[in-house]
Amino acid sequence: MSAMRGLLDRFMLLDLFSGLGITFRHLFKKKETVQYPEERCEPAHRFRGMFRLDEERCIKCTLCARDCPIDIIYIDWHQEMNPVTEKKEKALDRFDIDVQRCMFCGLCEEACPTNPKSIWLTSKTYELASYDRWENLYVDIDELQDWKVRPAYTDDEVR
Amino acid sequence: MLEALREAVGPTLFTYAVSPLFKILALIFLGVLPLIMYLVLAERKILGFMQVRLGPNRVGPWGILQPVADIAKLLVKEDVIPNKAVRWAFVLAPCLVVAPAFVILAVIPFGPSAEQSGGALDFFITDVNVGLLFVVAMATVGVYGIIIGGWASNSKFSLLGGLRSAAQMISYEIPQGFSLVIPLLMAGTMSLQGVVGAQFEQGRWFVFQFFPFGLIAFFIYFVAGVAESNRNPFDLPEAESELVAGFHTEYTGMRFALFFLGEYANMIVISALAVTLFLGGWLAPFPNVGWASFLDLQWIPFMTPGLAGLIWFSAKLFAFLFVYIWFRGTFPRYRFDQLMDLGWKWLIPLVLFTVFGVGIWKTLL
Amino acid sequence: MGETGAKPGHDTLFDVEEMELALGPQHPSTHGVLRINLKIDGERILDSYPIIGYLHRGTEKLFELHPFFQNVPHTDRIDYVAAATNNLAYVGAVEKLTGITVPPRASYIRTILCELQRISSHLLWLATHAIDVGAMTPFFYCFREREQVLDLFEEYCGARLTLNCMRPGGLPFDLPVGWTDRCSAFIDKFPAKVAEYEGLLTNNRIWKKRTVGIGVLSKEQVLQYGITGPMLRGSGVDFDLRKATPYEAYDEVDFDVPVFPNGDTYDRYLVRMEEMRQSARIVRQCLAKLPDGEVMAKRPRVLKANKGAEAYFGIEGPKGEIGFYIVGNGTPNPDRCRVRAPSFYNLQVVPELAKDHLLSDLVAIIGTTDIVLGEVDR
Repeated sequence: MSAMRGLLDRFMLLDLFSGLGITFRHLFKKKETVQYPEERCEPAHRFRGMFRLDEERCIKCTLCARDCPIDIIYIDWHQEMNPVTEKKEKALDRFDIDVQRCMFCGLCEEACPTNPKSIWLTSKTYELASYDRWENLYVDIDELQDWKVRPAYTDDEVR
Repeated sequence: MLEALREAVGPTLFTYAVSPLFKILALIFLGVLPLIMYLVLAERKILGFMQVRLGPNRVGPWGILQPVADIAKLLVKEDVIPNKAVRWAFVLAPCLVVAPAFVILAVIPFGPSAEQSGGALDFFITDVNVGLLFVVAMATVGVYGIIIGGWASNSKFSLLGGLRSAAQMISYEIPQGFSLVIPLLMAGTMSLQGVVGAQFEQGRWFVFQFFPFGLIAFFIYFVAGVAESNRNPFDLPEAESELVAGFHTEYTGMRFALFFLGEYANMIVISALAVTLFLGGWLAPFPNVGWASFLDLQWIPFMTPGLAGLIWFSAKLFAFLFVYIWFRGTFPRYRFDQLMDLGWKWLIPLVLFTVFGVGIWKTLL
Repeated sequence: MGETGAKPGHDTLFDVEEMELALGPQHPSTHGVLRINLKIDGERILDSYPIIGYLHRGTEKLFELHPFFQNVPHTDRIDYVAAATNNLAYVGAVEKLTGITVPPRASYIRTILCELQRISSHLLWLATHAIDVGAMTPFFYCFREREQVLDLFEEYCGARLTLNCMRPGGLPFDLPVGWTDRCSAFIDKFPAKVAEYEGLLTNNRIWKKRTVGIGVLSKEQVLQYGITGPMLRGSGVDFDLRKATPYEAYDEVDFDVPVFPNGDTYDRYLVRMEEMRQSARIVRQCLAKLPDGEVMAKRPRVLKANKGAEAYFGIEGPKGEIGFYIVGNGTPNPDRCRVRAPSFYNLQVVPELAKDHLLSDLVAIIGTTDIVLGEVDR
């Protein structure tokens, strides 16, 4: 029987027709295409996208900069007298991230000791393409806190 | 206006030069070029649908203006001729691919002649009494374009592609030529219009004539035809994953477009020939069966027999082209030596056997 | 470049003119930036010589410059289509070096991630291999399922390709709510999809012609060359590190190691297809048995390895044995980190396989070795 089937297979090209059947069935299946600029995939909640920083929460400990494997977080700070509490506090001079080299590993966010985190990547922003790598992908503290520069897809940006 | 023109140039010149010229121009610019443009779009769409994606859909609704955009792009692209290329041959090659394919279309009947349909128009450009021979001769010219293009580019990948295609097209011309002999034997004429007429008289498409010989001949013609037009699974001369783009690796812009045009024109020619010789040309299915007479479409208002013939011809042609695309969406590619094996060790003996079979059948019965 | 000229058995009646052809590094089917210099006679390959290093990034040196935990993102980029297995091999070596025991839940999740990664890596392999041989449709079907695997990764760790999903001592996060359901929904559907790819290829006579008897590797050859992974099992050697030295949760799940005897491209294809099914089986069992508890072991924030301490940890990656050999020097950084990258070992057999095959076969052979140039060059 199997020899018969083998013979049939050999001369009637059944193997080829079964393949043709599979592709023909797919003609009518639902298509997987996402029409990008109109439809967008919403990233998962843990998606590692563009950086955000909350200066209020940040304690200027520089752990994020130290844990960064490629050293792209640049933080300078100085001591400053807080006029309200009359205590010495750290004040940021600069908090820059060289996003063009960033590999979005998320170690800076993991290193952040504050709760909730003061630096985080889970911003659901993935459209980081730009025409100029120096101007647009070297972000300073204002850009890190300005959420309108690179909008996210949903409102629930804060975990 | 036509009458005035006839008066002006004289009836002889009109019949033999002006009228065919108009028909050719109309066929190429209104028929074949748009057909090819939209065949490319249809191919991309159908392949896309088979591959669970949408295909081109950005230019115009459902992408129907995509071919226009493609042509505009190809026209304005820089025309690069490689420094070390053989210029004249490099320029000549694409023309050699396109021209024969278009020329063959001149003898293919897309519909009935004026006397057959009782209409005013012949649905073909010319009816050559050695039509089949003309087709075979012209089809052979196309291969030169590919070889010359591959050689003149002075690129190793192009050369390999050109050589592959030379060997492949010459080998597959033999089974293709022999399989064309079979409808010839059945019809007893070499005129393509005559072949369709014979199918009408015998009341049967030639695929089903002398069963199973007609079917085998059709199958061989189809396989050889796919190989002749360098299409998957026999697309070795331009095998992307091996030879980058084969013989047209170095071609850009409009010259590349001509190669592309030639490939698709060849597909259309081979399908049209298959339809004419084996699938009854412009005949409706079951042309001589009483209850199937509604298939001649005369119940549709304003339908003339000629138009119905054209519709049937196109329907069969498109079905054929769909199979081409379907193959491309399904099969892997043969290897070069396996392709030769298939041609020389299987198709040629099989087609010889079929020719003998039909000959004996015809003499004895 | 080896000897040239007519080989024995070659027809010397005609003048043999050899042609040198540089395949790559920008060639559609060299899977990245591999370059192969070929000596060909017509289409027949007389000699071939792979040239590597176009993607060399000095990863091993990079490891020495960073503390242990900062190196995990770098391992993602060694075999960039199978980040989870690289992560596991690296963190496994660090754990062995520093003597950390991973909590059982973390072990199970790691096993799940690695098997999903194997599925996704094999899908990518099948897609590109099929397109090399000329079948373009399996590419899209494979990517359809691969997207779903990547979605699962994205949901778990936030990245789709360079996962960075493991840490020395366990995992950075627990599974998100509902992840196990979505994962098992995918795993339940997956074997039917594998059958679909097989329907397009396995019995197809053209596919068989292009793969059966192509690039045959004998049992002795694979052992000589140090080839691991599906290429080893396609040549009839029953060796799988998941069975031989079970790590993580592999000794608690039930699975088969597919072994095929002929050592040709077709058998390697069959091995990988079966491995995808077995991976689905492993994931299903792990999901059913998934224990509760912590996912991170108690460990110091800064790991230090003793001076002179060394550890090697090799696991069964999708492409073969991926292993890390780490030497400590008393600081938080490793003194030396050596990567045993399977693609590098598997690539070196290509010239021998390609000899006397045709140009088309070379493409199939490169495909069947399943190399990733990031891993070859590091």
